[in-house]
Amino acid sequence: MLEKLLYQGLIGLSFSMYLWLLSAGLTLAFGVLGVLNFAHGSLFMLGAYASFTFYGKLGLNFWLSIGLSLASVGIVGAILEGLFFRRIYDLDLPYQLILTFGFILIFDDLVKMIWGGVAMIPPMPRFFEGNLIVFDRPFPIYNLFIIFAGLAVALILWLVLEKTWWGRMIRASATDREMAGAIGINIPTLFTTVFVFSAMLAAVGGALGTPVRVVAPGIGTAMIVQAFVITVIGGLGNLKGAFVGALIVGILTSFGILLFPVFELFIIFVVMAIVLLVRPEGLFGK
Amino acid sequence: MAKKMTRRRFLKGAVIGGVALGTGLGGYRVTYGQAKKAAGPIKIGGQGAISGAHADYGWQMMAGSTLAMEEINARGGVLKRKLELKFMDEELKPATAVKNVRYLATEWGANFLFGVDSSGSAMAIGPVLPEVDRLHFFTHAATHRLTEELVAQKGIKQIFRMVAPVYQDALAAWVFKDTPEIKRWAGINCDYEYGYVAWNLFKENMKRFRPDVEFVAAAWAPFWTMDFSSHIAAVMAEKPDAIFSTPWAGEGVMLLRQALMLGVFDKIQAWWQGMGGSVDLLEGISREVAADKFKGKLWATARYIHNYPVTPENKAFVAAFRKRWGKFPNYSAEASYSAIYAIKAGVEKAKSLETAKVGAALEGVELKTPAGIRLIRKEDHQAIYTVPAGKVIQSPDYPLPVLGDLRIIPAKEYFRHPPFTPVAATK
Repeated sequence: MLEKLLYQGLIGLSFSMYLWLLSAGLTLAFGVLGVLNFAHGSLFMLGAYASFTFYGKLGLNFWLSIGLSLASVGIVGAILEGLFFRRIYDLDLPYQLILTFGFILIFDDLVKMIWGGVAMIPPMPRFFEGNLIVFDRPFPIYNLFIIFAGLAVALILWLVLEKTWWGRMIRASATDREMAGAIGINIPTLFTTVFVFSAMLAAVGGALGTPVRVVAPGIGTAMIVQAFVITVIGGLGNLKGAFVGALIVGILTSFGILLFPVFELFIIFVVMAIVLLVRPEGLFGK
Repeated sequence: MAKKMTRRRFLKGAVIGGVALGTGLGGYRVTYGQAKKAAGPIKIGGQGAISGAHADYGWQMMAGSTLAMEEINARGGVLKRKLELKFMDEELKPATAVKNVRYLATEWGANFLFGVDSSGSAMAIGPVLPEVDRLHFFTHAATHRLTEELVAQKGIKQIFRMVAPVYQDALAAWVFKDTPEIKRWAGINCDYEYGYVAWNLFKENMKRFRPDVEFVAAAWAPFWTMDFSSHIAAVMAEKPDAIFSTPWAGEGVMLLRQALMLGVFDKIQAWWQGMGGSVDLLEGISREVAADKFKGKLWATARYIHNYPVTPENKAFVAAFRKRWGKFPNYSAEASYSAIYAIKAGVEKAKSLETAKVGAALEGVELKTPAGIRLIRKEDHQAIYTVPAGKVIQSPDYPLPVLGDLRIIPAKEYFRHPPFTPVAATK
């Protein structure tokens, strides 16, 4: 039984890492810019489409394709922030909801126009095929890679935010925008950079998923609900919270499927409800 | 007081005038509509999923029905009138599907309706049909309740289903009943009605044939599941001999590819992929089949497969479809193609476009279609025809994998028959 649980936990861990990549950008944008970006899932979807095009269609190297898809989604992010989101920072949440929700619809229709509505599946890179024996059962190399990729992103984010000058500027602006501006931080540029960074985080999640998942309009919306649950559990705007939230949701879902297959879907919502009742600001929220 | 009286009078006048104007206009409209109908085309409104992971099914419906209409129009139409198609996105959402039906029937003026991928949408549309009074030919939605409950029990005569329902998925019980070494079955199924009923029907029949069989695990995946690893790992923990699974289209492809990554085909003896015989799914796993990754253990059926039956009708249909669209037809294409021909047959027999007359004309008829002879059963308006099961293989005759080693079991054996006993539609 223990081995069964550990194996299932490991599978859940790899699922958590996808969720973490998606929630990290979402919570970062909220924490620093104060924008609740419902279209974050669309950026995830664009990352998947871009890497599908570079890797699956044009036959470029897998890693190069991921890099190019990050760059493309980064550019989209810069345009979004510079032309649209910048104008709503000071407005109430409902305005943000309307604008970002509008972008979900626009992006879903755009990808339908460019790539068509039918789901597409690119080939799996050779080096990801095969598996290792873990707890006496085969565990895919690809899932192992996703776990490492997720942890690496977490480490990089922590180093950037905690140990660099740029990270300090971001934290300062998140705490007090006006004061940060007064001491000479160029807030608009910083915000654009942070938003681009957040868009690229979404794109990593989308791009890394392409070899095993389908690429279709709407995949972003399907994921974003879980990402919101995670940020609510962890505390909106808190990266540590998003990481822990993703672990909780991913691993609980996986255990739920093993132990309570009939109720599995609502387990994470129960957890969210409990967190909201006991600590409405989230586990790591202030 | 006087003012009040004036207003009341005014209102009264306005209401009467409005009613008169409304009726007048309405009358004018009706006449205009009828005059136009006599000369204009017969309008056929369809809907299916044309976006998302299941989008190929809606596209195939559109392709199959378009082909049938082009053929019929080229030969002079139906009762000397051309057929005209409008196809809408159902989005797999019941609310959208109902909205589409209302729009197509009342605003666009459809004479007949067809399509619908999701069972949830089909069950939502069913009760609306008597109200809009149009025949609806379902060409994919598979829930048994559509025909068993809504037609046979509640008497909604506007519903016809051209496609094999969820009974088809339970065919696995007939295919594997004589394989004594497979004793432990696990299920990875859709977390909605189709998945529940398919799994329950399979268990019920399998248990009847083989009391020694055990059902050791079940995992449930909702629409939009993209990562099936947890589901696969959970059922594999119980060391099953075989897996019964229902996710379809892009989700079926992801499930199978993720199962390969988890080394499932080294451990099990057979995997039944209910709708694995659908062209889009076979296309999605073609690289893996070519490399023999499934080790000859992947079995499937569909609601029609293009390599069965070997009849002139089917050969002509597949050739025409490939010529027109450059692709092989899947079952929603064939069912939609046959639905258009069923409309033609019904209208010509009834010599009318009236819903009740065409409906009555179709009850109990046998139609020669690409999938074989379809009998439209009188009691539940379900088309009865046989679709075999087979092993997913690479054949030198086709560019894509096909079902081979076919097991042909007559539909009469594995379809349910009236009077219907309830099947649990729960997990």
